[in-house]
Amino acid sequence: MKVRIAGISHESVTDGPGLRSVVFFQGCHHACPGCHNPQTWDIHGGEEIEIEDLIRRFQITPLLSGFTFSGGEPFLQPEAAACIAEYVKSKGLNLWVYTGYTWEELLTHLAEPGFQNLIRLADGIVEGPYRKELRDLSLPYCGSSNQRILLPEASLRQKQVVFWSEP
Amino acid sequence: MATNTQNNPVSLLNQPVVSLNECLDKEFTWIRKRDGRIVEFDKSKIYEAIFKAAKAVGGDDRDLAVELANVVVRYLAQCQPKEIPSVEEVQDAVEKVLIDRGHAKTAKAYILYRDRRTRMREARSELMDIVEDILVETSRENANVGNSPSAKMLQIASAASRQYYLSRLIPEDIAQAHQSGDIHIHDLDFYGKTLTCVQIPLEKLLANGFDTGHGYVRPPKRPASATALAAIILQSSQNDMHGGQSFAAFDHDLAPFIVGASEFDVFQSMEALIYNLNSMHSRAGAQVPFSSINLGCDLSSEGRMVTKTLLEAYEKGLGRGETPIFPNIIFRMKKGVNFDPKDPNYDLFQLAMRVSSQRMNPTFSFMDSSFNQPYDTEVAYMGCRTRVIANRHGEAVSTGRGNLSFTTINLPRLAIKANGHIEVFFQELDKILDLTARQLYHRYTVQSHLKVRDMPFLMGQGLYLDSELLKPDDEIAPAIKHGTLSIGFIGLAETLVSLTGSHHGQTVQARQLGLEIIQFMRHTVDRFSEDYDLNFTLLATPAEGLSGRFISMDRRTFGTIPGVTDKDYYTNSFHIPVEFPISSFEKCQFEGPFHELTNAGHISYVELDAPPIHNLEAYERLLRHMANCNMGYVGINFPIDECLDCAYRGVIANECPACGSTHIRRIRRITGYLSTVDRFNDAKKAELKDRKPHSHMKEGSW
Repeated sequence: MKVRIAGISHESVTDGPGLRSVVFFQGCHHACPGCHNPQTWDIHGGEEIEIEDLIRRFQITPLLSGFTFSGGEPFLQPEAAACIAEYVKSKGLNLWVYTGYTWEELLTHLAEPGFQNLIRLADGIVEGPYRKELRDLSLPYCGSSNQRILLPEASLRQKQVVFWSEP
Repeated sequence: MATNTQNNPVSLLNQPVVSLNECLDKEFTWIRKRDGRIVEFDKSKIYEAIFKAAKAVGGDDRDLAVELANVVVRYLAQCQPKEIPSVEEVQDAVEKVLIDRGHAKTAKAYILYRDRRTRMREARSELMDIVEDILVETSRENANVGNSPSAKMLQIASAASRQYYLSRLIPEDIAQAHQSGDIHIHDLDFYGKTLTCVQIPLEKLLANGFDTGHGYVRPPKRPASATALAAIILQSSQNDMHGGQSFAAFDHDLAPFIVGASEFDVFQSMEALIYNLNSMHSRAGAQVPFSSINLGCDLSSEGRMVTKTLLEAYEKGLGRGETPIFPNIIFRMKKGVNFDPKDPNYDLFQLAMRVSSQRMNPTFSFMDSSFNQPYDTEVAYMGCRTRVIANRHGEAVSTGRGNLSFTTINLPRLAIKANGHIEVFFQELDKILDLTARQLYHRYTVQSHLKVRDMPFLMGQGLYLDSELLKPDDEIAPAIKHGTLSIGFIGLAETLVSLTGSHHGQTVQARQLGLEIIQFMRHTVDRFSEDYDLNFTLLATPAEGLSGRFISMDRRTFGTIPGVTDKDYYTNSFHIPVEFPISSFEKCQFEGPFHELTNAGHISYVELDAPPIHNLEAYERLLRHMANCNMGYVGINFPIDECLDCAYRGVIANECPACGSTHIRRIRRITGYLSTVDRFNDAKKAELKDRKPHSHMKEGSW
C-alpha cells in the first residue's frame, strides 16, 4: 500500500508528550485560514511512497515516546494511516493523531474503511480545525482554543468525550 | 677622508673613490628616515649597531667597529654619490661590509637584529590597523563584549597586549606556533597578567566579610544583603581575572543567611541577584561577569529554598520577561538526592527542568558519572564547561581553585598534514602536545611571579586556596599550584574525516580512532602532570574566538577539503558535526565516552527545534539518557526568540505571531553561556545556521 506524505520530523517535542517522530500526511481539504502548513493541502503534492519504504525511514530509538500523525489530514488516507499505526503500535510506541475533523464528525465516518481502526489505534487525538480567531499560543500541542485532545478508546467506550490531561 | 676625525684611511673596497666633497655634502650630513623625513646623519649609530651585533656573538673590539662603520660610510658614498641614503640602504651597506670583510657571525647577528626590529615595526603598524578596525566596529570574538566606548578601549588594550606578549615575552617557536595556527593560546592578551577562572569560596567570604579596597564589608544578616554581596563578590573577583566566576555550591553557601526569612523575601533577593548579574558591566566597564552558579544538592530547608527561589526568579526573567543571560545555572544531579522520584530534592529537579525548558538554563551536571562519583557532590562546573577537581598539591576540592590557562591544539591541521598516515599523525600530535605543555609551563612561570597585590581581591582576600597564607608582596606560586593547566583540542570530527574519510557520527572505525586519539592525548597530559609536577588536564575546548580562525588559515594553506575545511568553523572539541543528521540517542552515545577523558571540562548538547515547554517527559528522558551515557555536564539547546514589544516567547520566524512586531531578540547558547545572536562572531553565526536539531530530517516539503 502506498501513502502520500509531506515529510517526517524524527524528533519533535511540540507534537505530543515525550520525544516523538512526526509523519506529516500530504493532502488536506479543511483549508483553515492561517494554516501553519498550507503546502500540505495539495492532494497531489508531497511524495507518494510504499508504506514499507516509509517505515524503513523511521528512526526508532529507545528515547522515542511515540509517533504523531499530522499533516495534512491523516484521515484522508485512513487505510494507509491505520496500516502505519499498526506498525507503530507493534513497536510498543504511543500514537497521537492530529485531525481537522471534530470528534463528532469522525464518529459519523466510523463505517468507512480504516477510520475506526485508526481511531482505536490512536492513544490521543488532537481534533478540530485551526481557527485563527481562537488562536492561543500558550496551549500545549494545540493552535486554537476550539481544538481538543481526546482519549479515543475511552471516549468510544464511555460514549462521551474523555479529555487527555497533562500529567 | 682626511676630514674624518676617526681617521681610518684604509681603502677596503676595490671601487673608485668618490670625491671628498660629495661625501661630505650628501652622505655625511643627511639621511632619509623611514617616514620620509630627512634628518642629520649620525655615524655613531652605525658604529653602535655594529658593536652591538659583534657583542651578541662574543666580540668586544670597539676600534674594529669604528673602522667598519667608516667603511660603510665610504661604501655608501661610492655607490650613491648623488642620493641621500635611506635607512634601509645604510643597513644593506652594513650587512654587505660585514660579510665582505669576513665577519660572518657579526653579520648574522646584525641581520637577526634588523629582522627583529622590522617585525616589531610591522607589529606596531599592524597594531595601528587593528586599532582602526576596532574603532570602526568592536570585534565579535567574544559574545559577551558590547559595543561601548569602554569595550573599544578594552579591545585596543587587548590587541596591544597580544602583540607585546608575542613579540617580547613568549619564546619564539611557541609564538610562531600560535601565529601560524598550530596552537591557539587562549586569552593571550592576559598572558602574564592573571589567571583564567575560580570557584569562589562564597561561604567563607560571607561569614567573615571582605574588603574590596575601599573598606571592610561586614557579613550580611538578611537574604537581600547576602545576594547583594554575592554579586559584588563576583564582580570584584572578575576584575582580577579574565575567565569565569563561579559559586560551587550556592544553595549550601547561602543557606545560613536566609534562616528565618520568608520565601517571598528570599525570592526577591534572588531576583535582585539576577538583575545585578545582567547589569553590572564590571569587566573593564565593558562586560558583565561570566557568572556561574552550581546548586541543587543541599537538603536543608534553607538550601532548598535558595535553589527553588533562584530558579523561580530566573524563570520569571528580567523586567519584561526577557531571558536572563547570566548567571549560568548548573543544576547538580545526584542519585539519592534529586535524580529519582523518591529523592528528597526530586521536586527541585522537576522545577529545574521546567525552567530550563523555557530558558535553556539551568544546565545539568551529573555527580554519578564514573569520573565525578569519587568526589561525591564536590565537582562543580562553570558555564564555559571548566572542571577542576583532582589536585597534586592538596585536597581535591572545587572551591578556591580554577583553571590557570588553556591552549588549544589544531587537530585537523595535523591530520591534513599527515595525509592519511595515522602514525605520522600521532608523531606530530606528540610533538605539538610537548610544545603546548612547554607553553603552558612558560605561562605558569610568568603567572607564578605575580604578586598578591597584582590580584588584590582574588589573592588579597583569600579567595584562592592557600592565598590567605600570603602577604601582599609575596608571589602567588604557593596558591596557584592548586590550579590547572589545560590542553584543549578542536575539530576531532574534521580530523577523523581527514584521516579516515568519515567522522565518529558515521562509522565505527572513526569512533574507535577518535577515542584512541583522545586517549592518547589524555595519557600524554597525565604524563605532563608527573613531569612538571603540576595539574595538567585535557579540555574539550569551548572554542568561541577560535572556531573560525584555524579553519580559515587551513583553507588558505591546504585549499577546500570536503568535510574538513569546507565550512566556516571547525567542530567544537569532540562533538558530532552540528549539521550531521543523527538521533539525539546516538549523538549522546557517541559523545559520552569523551567526557571521561576530558578531565578539564566537557559539555554535550542535544538540539531541539523548539522550546520543550509542556513536555518535561521528553526533557527528562533526554537528561536520563545523557546521564546513562556517562556524561559529566550537559545542556539542551533550542531557539529562544523573544518579542521585544509584547514579550511573546517561542520560535519566531520573521514577525511575532502574537503582535506582528519584527523587533525580535534571539537567544542561543554559545560555548556554554547564553548570548543574543547579534553578538555572535561570524564563524559562530555560520555554525548556528548549520545547527541541525535532531528533528533534522524534516524531509520533503518543509
